[in-house]
Amino acid sequence: MKRAGFIASFLAPAVLLYAALVVYPLIQALTFSTYQWRGVSAKRKFVGLENFQTLASDRDFIRSVTNNLGLLAGAGIVVVAVSLIVAHLTAGPGRSAKLLRGFSLVPQMVSLVAVAVLWQFIFNPEGLFNATLRGIGLGSWTRTWLGDPRYALGSVGVAFAWYAVGFYALLFGAGLRNIPAEVTEAAALDGSKGWHQFANITWPMLWSVKRTAITYLVINVMNTFALVFLMTRGGPDRASEVMLTYLYEQAFQNSKFGYATAVAIGNFAVAMLLSLGILFFLRKDPTASRRAS
Amino acid sequence: MSLSGQFRPVWFASLALATALLAGCGSSSEKSTSASADKPAELSGPLEVVAFKGGYGIDQYEKAAKEFGEKHPGLEIKVAGDPRVWEQLRPRLVAGTPPDLMFPGWDMDVWGLIEEEQLKPLDEALDQPAADGTGTWRDTFDPNVLKLGQKDGKTYLLPYYVMTYGWWHDPGLFAKNGWKVPATYPELLTLCEKIKAKGVAPITYQGQYPYYMIEGMLLPWAASIGGIAAVNAAQNLEPGAWKSPAMLQAATMIDDLNKKGYLQAGAVGMSHTESQTQFLNGKAAMIPCGSWLQSEMEKSIPKGVKLEFFLPPVVPDGKGDPSAVLIGVEPWMVPTDAKNPAAAIELFRYMTSLPKAKEFTETKGTLMAIKGSDEVKLPEVLVKPAAAMKSAKTLWSNQFRSWYKAAEKDIEGALTSLLNGQITPAEFTERCEAAAEKTRNDKSIAKYKVS
Repeated sequence: MKRAGFIASFLAPAVLLYAALVVYPLIQALTFSTYQWRGVSAKRKFVGLENFQTLASDRDFIRSVTNNLGLLAGAGIVVVAVSLIVAHLTAGPGRSAKLLRGFSLVPQMVSLVAVAVLWQFIFNPEGLFNATLRGIGLGSWTRTWLGDPRYALGSVGVAFAWYAVGFYALLFGAGLRNIPAEVTEAAALDGSKGWHQFANITWPMLWSVKRTAITYLVINVMNTFALVFLMTRGGPDRASEVMLTYLYEQAFQNSKFGYATAVAIGNFAVAMLLSLGILFFLRKDPTASRRAS
Repeated sequence: MSLSGQFRPVWFASLALATALLAGCGSSSEKSTSASADKPAELSGPLEVVAFKGGYGIDQYEKAAKEFGEKHPGLEIKVAGDPRVWEQLRPRLVAGTPPDLMFPGWDMDVWGLIEEEQLKPLDEALDQPAADGTGTWRDTFDPNVLKLGQKDGKTYLLPYYVMTYGWWHDPGLFAKNGWKVPATYPELLTLCEKIKAKGVAPITYQGQYPYYMIEGMLLPWAASIGGIAAVNAAQNLEPGAWKSPAMLQAATMIDDLNKKGYLQAGAVGMSHTESQTQFLNGKAAMIPCGSWLQSEMEKSIPKGVKLEFFLPPVVPDGKGDPSAVLIGVEPWMVPTDAKNPAAAIELFRYMTSLPKAKEFTETKGTLMAIKGSDEVKLPEVLVKPAAAMKSAKTLWSNQFRSWYKAAEKDIEGALTSLLNGQITPAEFTERCEAAAEKTRNDKSIAKYKVS
């Protein structure tokens, strides 16, 4: 008993901080979502679960969830694939590899606002991208990238991928360096190389990094705000609306803070479910059984 | 964490506002009584002014506050500003600790503030003498502008500068090509054909912010076709008003311009600065915009380029008044919980005195809501807007946008789809009507009428 008290006294500060900074705001958010509140005075009206009922049948919210998932499916896969390639290219000890490693991290050092402005400029109808297409004789491929509902979300996805790749390449790079050289050498001696080696040795051995990276990526995509807000404002006609731009609109433009909090909880639930799904799906280390035998 | 800039919704919604709300629970606001007209009490104590820091900056407010402070040494005046000041003011309003005088900028839900009784009605103050002692303060304002801040006969929002909405062109470019400013829609079509033949886009627009097109084309044209009553009915949410023949014809006119290739390709995806830059660089010949255009784009205007305002071309056989001018204001107000409302009112009375209003017009290049404030040597860019306002038999405003934000957003989305060629003008007006219908049936949304 004495021991338990002793341990508790050490845990208390952390638990208290966690309660104050994480648990309490979460409960507050849950409370807000049961009110009709304009967010300009202390006056609120309790409405129970009405906000959630509205949310469940709100086509604009559902559209924003779909767009978040679309971003994840599109940009997410591109980010993982490209960052794996970059990680491989930068894994070596050579000077060019080091240079590339540094280079791939540059977008991470730029503020997200600057990234949005840069890509807005690139995707401008008179911008760099269309100019390049015209320059190489593909003038008929030029589009109004950010103004056309068919391409707006994809264009934001490209900007997101450009920004995010460096960070995930860094994660995967660290994972690659953790694969013992003996393993890859042994595999090479057995005649495994190229794609075969990647699929059978490298990919399974990246398990723990992969788990972290994908979970983190899911959370990031679900929490996309600045890029969309600055590049398209969720337009045209909600074609690139994501959950958090919708939340912002409800809170700050429509003065529906209670409803916006319900959107926030919806966003939290989607991100949580996806993350748990991934953790469940990737729960087993595929190399563990082989190591044990 | 590396991907910064993406905020956490739950934290955002709760931490920032919950703390503000909590902080407010304990504080009770002391309300000082306003000075009576005949025997003004000497103003003293702290006086806090918080203002939107946009294209006009806050230096003129600071200057006025300093001058006012010299006359009232008992006051400690503090003036602060921010480009996104509405976000900072919300938690303070919730907490019951707002500034004494505020100018919360274009994205504050000011009508929500009125609904929540967060603003002081200012009629008593308006009925007191003006700063120069002749007549009442109320009489110094243009009544067409003053009424934009009223609800149920009470005035909560006071106008300061006035923006006129219209179209812009570069007279130099027009003269060089022998183009004439179009007064009517048929003239516009003829002109657009000539401009297009020169390889210049006739019209560009701020596609990411569709209200520029709503206020630059849709509503003025609906007003020109069906008279101002057609637009008022739409603003008043009268059933069928958003799909009236006037509204449908106005939408068809926009669609025609688009189909004929007179609207710059790709403008639908451009931000306001992108499209305005296209215009300034001569890639497009005309653009719809408010009278703030010059001050907003000051640094990007190429040498030799001049900006000149004109009213949206009218429909020749329409019922509307061809001299009608669409105006807008960004109002000032005194919060209910202000600690020093008497001083706030007096400071604003001083700011809106004729000499100060003239000074603002001259230094900032904008028209003011104060009568006679345009009787100065107007900056060149203001000459046409001032003349238009002076000769207007009808001054009107699009209040719908600030009253019914969700419906406005739906209508803006529908307009974007019309401009992308995804829906027809008839489908567009159906969507507008549906948005109005939804608002009409939503009991949680307060309803207003154009006065």
